[in-house]
Amino acid sequence: MGTELGKYKLCVSARSTDKDILKKAQDGGIVTQLFKFALEEGIIDGAIVAGQGDEPWRPRPFIATTVEELMTTPGTRYNISPQVSWIKEATRSYGLDKVGIVGTPCQMQAVRKGQLYPVGLRDVDDKIALAIGIFCMENFPYQSIKQLVEDHAGMKLESVKKMDIGKGKFWVYGARGQVVQLPLKVTHKYEQPGCHVCLDYVSNLADVSTGSVGSPDGWSTVFVRTRKGDDIWSKAIGAGCFETKPIEQVKPGLEMVSKLANEKITKNQKTVEERAKFGVNKALRNPYIKP
Amino acid sequence: MSKVVEISPTTRHEGHSKLVLKVDDAGIIERGDWLSITPVRGVEKLAINKTMDQVPKIASRVCGICPIAHTLAGIESMEGSIRCEIPRDAKLLRIVLQCANKLHSHALHNILTLPDMYIPGTDKKINPFSAEEPVRSHAKRIVRLREIGQTIGEIAGGEAIHPSNPRVGGLYKACTPRAVQKMYDLAKEGLPLAIEQMEFMIAVLRNFQRRDWADVGGKQIPIPKDLGYHNQGYMAAHPMYGSSNLDENPGWNPERWTDVRPWDWYMGEVEVSLADPSYPIGGTSPVGTKANPQMEACTGVPLYDGSPVEVGPRARMVQFKNYDEKGTIGQQIARAMELPDCLYTIINALDEYNPSGKVLADYIPQGDGSLGWAANEAPRGCDVHLAKVKDGRVLWYNMLVPTTWNFPTCSRALTGAPWQLAEVIVRGYDPCVSCATHMIVVDDDKKIVAQKLIR
Repeated sequence: MGTELGKYKLCVSARSTDKDILKKAQDGGIVTQLFKFALEEGIIDGAIVAGQGDEPWRPRPFIATTVEELMTTPGTRYNISPQVSWIKEATRSYGLDKVGIVGTPCQMQAVRKGQLYPVGLRDVDDKIALAIGIFCMENFPYQSIKQLVEDHAGMKLESVKKMDIGKGKFWVYGARGQVVQLPLKVTHKYEQPGCHVCLDYVSNLADVSTGSVGSPDGWSTVFVRTRKGDDIWSKAIGAGCFETKPIEQVKPGLEMVSKLANEKITKNQKTVEERAKFGVNKALRNPYIKP
Repeated sequence: MSKVVEISPTTRHEGHSKLVLKVDDAGIIERGDWLSITPVRGVEKLAINKTMDQVPKIASRVCGICPIAHTLAGIESMEGSIRCEIPRDAKLLRIVLQCANKLHSHALHNILTLPDMYIPGTDKKINPFSAEEPVRSHAKRIVRLREIGQTIGEIAGGEAIHPSNPRVGGLYKACTPRAVQKMYDLAKEGLPLAIEQMEFMIAVLRNFQRRDWADVGGKQIPIPKDLGYHNQGYMAAHPMYGSSNLDENPGWNPERWTDVRPWDWYMGEVEVSLADPSYPIGGTSPVGTKANPQMEACTGVPLYDGSPVEVGPRARMVQFKNYDEKGTIGQQIARAMELPDCLYTIINALDEYNPSGKVLADYIPQGDGSLGWAANEAPRGCDVHLAKVKDGRVLWYNMLVPTTWNFPTCSRALTGAPWQLAEVIVRGYDPCVSCATHMIVVDDDKKIVAQKLIR
């Protein structure tokens, strides 16, 4: 297709040079490290990240204004954290002027739309200093994650140490060392139906987008997309925050990202087209084209 | 024989209003009627049977300039009815919010009123992009003061216009230490600007007072020394914030308030017999136009102790600070003097505020239908909201908005001034006509008598 990876200035495989971050991170610790750098340098004065919610493995948007707070949040939780719902509050009762936000491709779309048409987001649009997007094939509601872990993987959510999606499987790592892998065929029906109209795999609208796909274990693929993202990324590289490798030299490389992105787009395009015929004279509008 | 002039619509203030003036041969006003011609919105009717949380948010929508005052007055009247005391830190943030609103609103008023008084022969449009100095610097300062007010309001209230944070029982969210610091810094930045602005306003106003004539539409109009004087009383509930029926010493008394219908107050049908096409912005209404203030006025006439009263910055100063200057100039000076006061109050409230304190009452009663009221000292004066809440639903709601009080008072103050300066007197009240446009008229027994209009 050629456009599946969106526009970008730079693509590398990278990981954080901070051992603490790597220990807690899902892959290369890109998001945590980049926010940490931006906080320390005053590029942002707070970041909206996915913190720990009231139930195990349930994320909740959390506004980290110090590195210590940020360090309580690394890792992926595979269910929905409504990041954008806090973007206004961050500029209000938290008093932030330069907000960092991390989110899925759909959340990046929402952030950009909010910047373009700040309806209900008065004085928020100019305060978004860094938007980091993550790769996303689909997301799960919390109930789905509970079902997958407790019924399919036979583990209590409390005893899960890490969850991961990779190599065509959903992995659940238990605290006592047990590892369960579920084929993605099983997880499909638990996906959020809203995800099936999304045609963005790699957060096309973020300043910097990142995900594990395309890079070796423990590393992440990073797309630097905007001028702002490029500026912050090069400063971070200059400060020695990241180890990088050219994406051409790593396995499986960009082809893998392209392959998955195309897979997502082709699959979801069908749903989009189907929905266009949905209902009686009231087809659902395709959000990716002009009406 | 007296002639009739009509200025419709009046300009450089919020809302739609008009002036119907009976003048003598020299053009001096013998009787003036200033009335609202903004259509009635019927918020009081909309409120009935809504939840007590919804109503203040709806009430806030009557106006975009002082939505904060309406939200706070609405919420506090609900709290007054259900008898709910709010935590101290919530009260402090509400005070910050109130002063932020007052700061930006007063600064806005300066933009509207200054063209009447500013140095003759210079650019009188208060425009930060003006080619002339010093008007450009003055405009920039005013704009910055407004920005500071709006930003502080946004942080404390969630939104500068129609604040989302206040709720019945306190506030939804407390401010973090960082947010408090930001508000404090902004207030500190604003303080010297506000003092400068106050001194500038007083200088301009005193200069206007010393002039013999003002230029209106190319004509020299003599300025009377008693411009805008009236002999009515003053009403204010608090020097800065407000009062409610939960206070130990309430600053307002619902027993002293009555309403009369506009057709008992304003003049009947008249025909315009004097017109001046050179009057600014399109001239006055042509000769032969029929005006009927009795029927056209869209507000009730509220009385306190049976007579119209003035509310606003001067009323606050007269009641609490022994201020005694009368007339339009005195009124505007009182307003200018409130600018630094707003910032001092914000700074003091933030000093006392504890970011880890609670901002929501532990228990919020649902109400038994008893009357609650809150008199909030909005930028334009005492904004009284009255409510009866039962089981969380609003049974009855009423708003007595500052400009509603000021309409009849200002009409009296017009007498004795050249008709060309009537608008200057009106602007001195910083009228906000839209929110003043309500139609609940009660007689001495508190029975609603203007039912046919509110239906």
